Amino acid sequence: MAQIGGETIGRAVLPVRNALEETGEMMLLTAKTVSSALRPPYLYGSEFVSQFLFTLRICWLPLMITTFALSYGAPGLQAANILSVIGNLDRLGGFFVLAAVREIGPLITATVITGAAGTAITADLGARKIREELDALQVLGVDTVKNLVVPRFLALMIATGLFNIYAILFGLFGGVLAAVVHHQPLGPFWVTFFENTSTVDLWGSTLKTTIFGALIAIICCYRGMTASGGAEGVGRAVNQAVVGSLIAFGSFNYVFTQVLLATHPNILTIR
Amino acid sequence: MSEPLIGPREWLGSTGDIGQFSLRVLLDVWSLRVLHFFGETVRQAGILILSSAAVLWIQAFIIGLGTCGIEGAYFAQSQGAPAVAGIFAAWCDLREAIPYAFGYMMAAKIGTGIVAEIGAMRINDEIDALEVMGIDSMAFLCATRLLAGWIVLPFIYAAGMGVAYLASYIAVVKQVGAVSSGGYLLVFWQYQNPLDFLYSMTKAMSMATVIVLVACFFGYTASGGPVGVGKATAKSMVLNLVLVTLIGMLGTQVFWGTNPRTPIGG
Repeated sequence: MAQIGGETIGRAVLPVRNALEETGEMMLLTAKTVSSALRPPYLYGSEFVSQFLFTLRICWLPLMITTFALSYGAPGLQAANILSVIGNLDRLGGFFVLAAVREIGPLITATVITGAAGTAITADLGARKIREELDALQVLGVDTVKNLVVPRFLALMIATGLFNIYAILFGLFGGVLAAVVHHQPLGPFWVTFFENTSTVDLWGSTLKTTIFGALIAIICCYRGMTASGGAEGVGRAVNQAVVGSLIAFGSFNYVFTQVLLATHPNILTIR
Repeated sequence: MSEPLIGPREWLGSTGDIGQFSLRVLLDVWSLRVLHFFGETVRQAGILILSSAAVLWIQAFIIGLGTCGIEGAYFAQSQGAPAVAGIFAAWCDLREAIPYAFGYMMAAKIGTGIVAEIGAMRINDEIDALEVMGIDSMAFLCATRLLAGWIVLPFIYAAGMGVAYLASYIAVVKQVGAVSSGGYLLVFWQYQNPLDFLYSMTKAMSMATVIVLVACFFGYTASGGPVGVGKATAKSMVLNLVLVTLIGMLGTQVFWGTNPRTPIGG
């Protein structure tokens, strides 16, 4: 009886144990990637450039459409509705500091990078793992972390940070359209936006998205490099990579927002 | 690797194929041909509950806590009216953030899962085997999944909305604490009504329908071994991201537009 009880408990905690083990392995991979990126020889230059260009090419159109559409709908129309209830619709631009720069820009950039570039990385590495190409590389004495993970890690980090700027821009266009739909003059929109925005907001946003990029790259590379079980295994790896990335950067965003707002209370004052 | 996985031209090219495929699947459900496989439908519904519900609720909790709760509380303070946090949280949860969060998570969890599963069946010639046995593979694989989603997802969505409400309450009242519990809840419940919930549900279920159809299409037409399944999964995720966002924007424009449906004002 005690035996059966123990087994049941064992089976119940198994998913938790697996998740903890995987998190630990991802942290090890992160440490290996960072140390391998810093230590010479720097062999990953050309792969880095090609990965960076690849990320730019597959992400720019989805990113443009999603940031514009989302900023027009959620913070644009609905926030304008709230502000018209309070009676200060001219402060919509000030709200877009919070919306486009601090929250929605970074989150939507990370979502698109996960969906477009992250899935492609996992599918690519997963297919190589299934066809035993990664094992073959290791037999040849090629360091897979240095040659495959490091360039993707750096490329995603930099691309996510840079794309965030464009996400903020297109988010602002969405806000401008919402202001026009509400028959508002655009002068107050820009004035309140530039009055309320600060350097802290911009570097906070850029730093946040750069770390999002690092999280996405590590999770997607890890899932790709540990794929197993034929064709379905690659698909399952992509599935786990996307879900893991969304949860990871969502949770990290909560912590980061808290820390930034708590350590820089002056960005909350209204101007 | 050098060729782009997705490009505007490719999108336009496959839009027609996806439309044709989706119509056939919808027709299978509409004509109740799917009920030949009712057992499979129930099985798929069970899989959805067991494997996806928890992840969807976690996502709803994170978004309700961070984006709607914390930012809403600080936004309300910056407007000089902490009680407004209730309005912000109610509208953010019900109208915008949770439909989007659900849409993205459904695309990630349910959508890519379907592509991986059906794509692997296509690669392993299991779909051809189904056809040889005289089973309508499209109704058996795709229509059953769509019907299962329609049966289960409304309930998961309603429960997820509850999770998000709880998270926003924790963030605004317990964590930031600029408004009292009663003051928050009064405003929070004043600023929503059943019709809003119906609209929100319509948005989320349109997203779910599109996600399942797109995922079934990419899985059903996968080709080229394990690499092909991986690429199809990646492609379906990008397309679903864009479609979810567009549906969310259209829903907001159509349902609320510039008519906020508030209990005050004119």
